[in-house]
Amino acid sequence: MKRPPQLDVSELPTVVFGSRTTLWWGVTGLITIEGTVFAIVAATYFYLRGGAVEWPPPGVSQPPLALTTAFLAVLLASLAPMHWTNKAALRGDLRGIQIWLAVTTVLGAACLVMRGFEFSLLSYEWRSHAYGSVVWTILSLHTLHLLTSIGENVLFLVLLAKGPVEDKHLLDVTVNGLYWFFVVAAWVPFYFILYMDPGLFRP
Amino acid sequence: MSALTALALFIGRIGRHSALQPAGPPAERINGLWWLMFWCLTGVFILVLGALALALVSSHRRRLREPATPPAGATDPATERRMTRAVGGAIGLTVILLFVLLVASIATGRSISPLSAPKDALEVEVVGHQWWWQFEYADPDPSRIVSTANELHIPVGRAVKLRLTSRDVIHSFWVPNLNGKMDLIPGRNADTWIQADRPGVYRGQCAEFCGHQHAHMALEVIADPPERFDAWLAAQRQAAPLPASPLAQRGQQVFLSSSCPLCHAVQGTTAGSGVGPDLTHVASRRTLAAGTLPNNRGNLAGWILDPQSIKPGNRMPPTALSPADLEALLAYLESLR
Amino acid sequence: MSLGAVPEAVPESWGPEPPDSDLDDLDVKARRELEATWRSPSGLLGWLTETSHTALGKRYIVTAFVFFALGGIEALLMRLQLARPENTVLGADLYNQVFTMHGSTMMFLFAVPVMLGMGLYLVPLMIGTRNLAFPRLNAYSYYAYLLGGLLLYGAFFLNVGPDAGWFAYVPLAGPDYSPGKRVDVWAQMITFTELSSLAAAVNLITTIFKHRAPGMSLNRIPLFVWSILVTSFMVVFAMPAVMSSSLFLALDRLVDTHFFNPAEGGDAILWQHLFWFFGHPEVYIIFLPATGMVSAIIVAFTRRPAFGYTALVLSLVATAFIGFGLWVHHMFATGLPQLGQSFFTAASIMIVVPSGTQIFCWLATLWGGRVRFKTPLLYVLGFIAIFVLGGLTGVMLAAVPLDLQVHDTFFVVAHFHYVLIGGAVFPLLGGITFWFPKMTGRLMSERLGKLGFGLVFLGFNLTFFPMHQLGLEGMPRRVYTYLPETGWGDLNLLATVGAGILGLGVLVFVLNALWSLRFGEVAGGDPWGADGLEWSTASPPAPYNFFHLPTVRGRYARWVQDEDQPVVVGLRTDRREVLVTRTLDAEPDHRDILPGPSGWPLALALTTGVTFIGGIFTPWALPWGVLLTGLALIGWFWPQTDMGRTVLKEKS
Ligand code: HEA
Ligand code: HEA
Ligand code: CUA
Ligand SMILES: [Cu+2]
Repeated sequence: MKRPPQLDVSELPTVVFGSRTTLWWGVTGLITIEGTVFAIVAATYFYLRGGAVEWPPPGVSQPPLALTTAFLAVLLASLAPMHWTNKAALRGDLRGIQIWLAVTTVLGAACLVMRGFEFSLLSYEWRSHAYGSVVWTILSLHTLHLLTSIGENVLFLVLLAKGPVEDKHLLDVTVNGLYWFFVVAAWVPFYFILYMDPGLFRP
Repeated sequence: MSALTALALFIGRIGRHSALQPAGPPAERINGLWWLMFWCLTGVFILVLGALALALVSSHRRRLREPATPPAGATDPATERRMTRAVGGAIGLTVILLFVLLVASIATGRSISPLSAPKDALEVEVVGHQWWWQFEYADPDPSRIVSTANELHIPVGRAVKLRLTSRDVIHSFWVPNLNGKMDLIPGRNADTWIQADRPGVYRGQCAEFCGHQHAHMALEVIADPPERFDAWLAAQRQAAPLPASPLAQRGQQVFLSSSCPLCHAVQGTTAGSGVGPDLTHVASRRTLAAGTLPNNRGNLAGWILDPQSIKPGNRMPPTALSPADLEALLAYLESLR
Repeated sequence: MSLGAVPEAVPESWGPEPPDSDLDDLDVKARRELEATWRSPSGLLGWLTETSHTALGKRYIVTAFVFFALGGIEALLMRLQLARPENTVLGADLYNQVFTMHGSTMMFLFAVPVMLGMGLYLVPLMIGTRNLAFPRLNAYSYYAYLLGGLLLYGAFFLNVGPDAGWFAYVPLAGPDYSPGKRVDVWAQMITFTELSSLAAAVNLITTIFKHRAPGMSLNRIPLFVWSILVTSFMVVFAMPAVMSSSLFLALDRLVDTHFFNPAEGGDAILWQHLFWFFGHPEVYIIFLPATGMVSAIIVAFTRRPAFGYTALVLSLVATAFIGFGLWVHHMFATGLPQLGQSFFTAASIMIVVPSGTQIFCWLATLWGGRVRFKTPLLYVLGFIAIFVLGGLTGVMLAAVPLDLQVHDTFFVVAHFHYVLIGGAVFPLLGGITFWFPKMTGRLMSERLGKLGFGLVFLGFNLTFFPMHQLGLEGMPRRVYTYLPETGWGDLNLLATVGAGILGLGVLVFVLNALWSLRFGEVAGGDPWGADGLEWSTASPPAPYNFFHLPTVRGRYARWVQDEDQPVVVGLRTDRREVLVTRTLDAEPDHRDILPGPSGWPLALALTTGVTFIGGIFTPWALPWGVLLTGLALIGWFWPQTDMGRTVLKEKS
């Protein structure tokens, strides 16, 4: 039998970055899903707010703005080291990855501690009223994401220290960074919704 | 087409309790919209099936006409052009027809909205309960408010505005001959209106699933000429008559000393609970347990002794009574006209 | 049996899997190695660690059909109960569980999974690749789905079957009016099936964007693949709404939050908004893949390109977009403001345009083709008749005043069975008949197939057509019985008889499939002379699908062939290497290495199971479950270092 003509792909690379890879698409899909969840929770917040006589209900006091703003600032600050982590990964610079990923993780952990205070300073519970329910849900949902991402970072730090490290791990690191960006970005609207709301969004 | 023959069969038999037997303006408007839609869309359906039949015939013929199979996937430009025109035309017609239907729908919607109800309407509050209806006839004087259950009396020819809410779960008020349905939602109020232009009894049934006995949550709208309605309302405003016979007097004691007053009210006695239907004029009503049973002595006795076997899961507990007590209680209840 | 000649345009070299004797020694060796690399391990362990899309896809489909049979049996029970007034086959309590189980089963455990299952099975074959982009995620999807189904039915048989309807309106489904665990079971079943669908959707999107054969640019994707792509996007944006709302419901029930409690600032209508924001797209998630099957079948049995490929694709996309703007048409009777209602009427009417466009394009394709009346095509013809009728009653429902009359009655029940069964189950049965030879290597019997179709078509119309009339005559849905005076008895009896015939038809279909599995005519690679790449593989496909990955020169890959058209070579055969191409033009981009069999998907599904099922009984299940899930995730992502990749740093 005659051999069909051939398209030889054996020279193509096996590790590339960004939206060329399936991993990027997978994680982007995950981010889209979770972003939609956050959007729906936000919509729920506004829906309940629209039906409420008084919002927040009487007797609600928020954690001090200094704390919640510091949380946001540190969270946003962690974007920089994560960006440098990605850059290091693109260069194939393992040391750089380790350093910057560690810095990111420390900043994340600091956020987690502040988040703990944030929870303890809420003057109401999830079962106090619908306002309490939705705020606790928002905070818990975001905290769960933060925890997961920090866990991922730690896992990467361990794997990088332990070896063996393969070229594919560089891609994994950048995609992990993408997810971190999402976890940080997701909080920004909620900071305004929860803590700036009475000033900013009163109709 | 089996569907079409069946259709012809059905149009012949449209029952008494039907959206297509309107007895008042809102239902009439909807009925008009229904027939507009029905004929337009039946036309569309026939056209689509006709096109399908034509397509199959043409396609089959082509296969017979050109037995030598041409390469799969081949098309003929002239045919494609004709098809493009046909499909484009069909889409255009669809858009036009849809626009007409949309306008008709919005116009009908306006005319049945509670905002367009006549101003002199009678106002009744409807409260849904698992699984019965409470009707309260508004009156500026609270002592003149009439509360009854499962039977809505209205005057013929006059609009009745209904204010709907619920004490527990969501129910839906629906009397097909008079208007479309509207939900009764806890924590909210919704308005609708009905009007009957002919005297009669119009059956309705709760339309939103509300738990165990959703199936047995019916109601009747009784449309009477205005004078009869006024007389009925005046009678309902009266407190319960004092029991006349000794038997009925004993029955009243049985009533007040058993668990009945925990849930029911009889105006003029100490029984004043609003958990279950108001029984002040229970004997004047046509049915028991929200349209489940005709209201007669036997059914009433059965219901009191063992409501759970008649309407399983309903909120009324069984009451154990000696035959003599039961006899007395029935005599009392039957005196509540 | 005459199946039409193999189209001349298909060069012999494109025949699926040439025998060893046609290959030179090197190729024979390569194929052996490919076979060994991609084969799944045998035995129970192999079964539990399966990651092949054909095996898992078949598992999906079979599981979904088991749930279809269960849902169908529930339907027959309901029909028996409703056959006569004041019947006593099922009491109120059982009837409420049964209709809830029926609706939930059909929507969450049958219709969506079976459509995704068809996609998971067919897409890699249709786009010319060896597996899905995330093979282990596919296994996870399956196990999550299975667990959700087992949870629901386990509970049902223990008399904890949910009983608040398939959309579980609060407050009825809330803590005050549904004490006990019934609704919790429902909410967690939702969580499982949504997780599963979301995972499948991401998997499918990525596979379709990145794994297409060279040359299959976006404008050459087969229509079925387009329908799966659009559906997957709908899943991604719709399912989060129901996941959130079922989370809120679970929280209200389990830890006393007040999302839906009006007494504490919550709102009962919020649930309806959230549910239908998912629930309406859901019906198109079921319907769109079915339209993909219709296109594939019509093209194959008219032997011509689909008329209006671009219009068909745009219709899918338009349906998906508009589909997110209709949800309030399920809530007209809640008394929302008029202006808002008119908007949703307009949107609901607008969506008729893409649906109509699809119908017109199919009619044109039929008209311009050379039609062969095989069973799959009969199902498509049945689809057109029934779906159009159901769509037209949908237009009636979209008109607020009419909807206020027939909302929550058997008229609506008639509408949605016309569109669900006519619009999705008919194409599905046609599609199964069509692809059965690919999946099993044998054709289904034509005679039994036609008999089954006839019974299903007749039974269907007898069952559901009378329901329009019942609804207009005032029969609400979800009533476990009715009084003789209502006059609804005769038509209900007719519907019950119809359901029996319909059930018989389904039974004939199932028996046909079982019989043909053993005794059907052997199919060969391409029994229909069809256009898609899936027909270029062996039947059933080898573990690696294609010996050489194909390239594509047109929309109807097997019909548009050039003499000099190349096949892909150079992928390593000693590891699971696949070709990744560019998203738009599908030019070769890089090679990826897919993971092989793994036990972690099952482990992860079990730990999520502990979290969600345990969570019904004790809040402590949450921290423990999250911990276990974390461990399973670490196991899953622990790097596999035996793939021969470049090592940057040795183990320290
Ligand atoms: C496969 C599933 C599917 C599909 C495709 C559809 C399609 C449509 N549906 Fe349906 N629907 C359901 C499944 C589906 N539906 C379900 C499950 C429910 C009930 C849920 C529950 O309550 O349990 C429901 C309920 C439902 C309601 C709420 C009823 C109520 O509860 O009161 C409404 C109201 O607007 C509606 C409208 C429509 C419309 C306008 C379409 C349109 O998309 C139809 C468009 C198609 C056509 C119209 C036919 C083809 C077009 C032509 C041939 C062109 C020519 C036509 C004209 C000129 C009109 N549907
Ligand atoms: C895709 C979805 C789907 C499908 C296919 C069906 C199929 C059927 N449905 Fe269903 N139905 C719904 C979705 C669906 N339904 C939904 C969402 C609801 C609303 C629920 C709610 O209100 O909450 C509903 C509600 C509903 C009701 C209204 C209940 C009520 O409101 O009180 C009725 C009543 O007749 C009904 C009947 C039927 C019938 C007779 C079939 C038939 O088509 C079934 C035919 C199939 C069979 C009869 C099975 C045959 C199997 C065998 C013979 C065994 C084979 C053996 C092996 C495989 C081993 N359905
Ligand atoms: Cu009340 Cu249904
Ligand atoms: Cu809808």
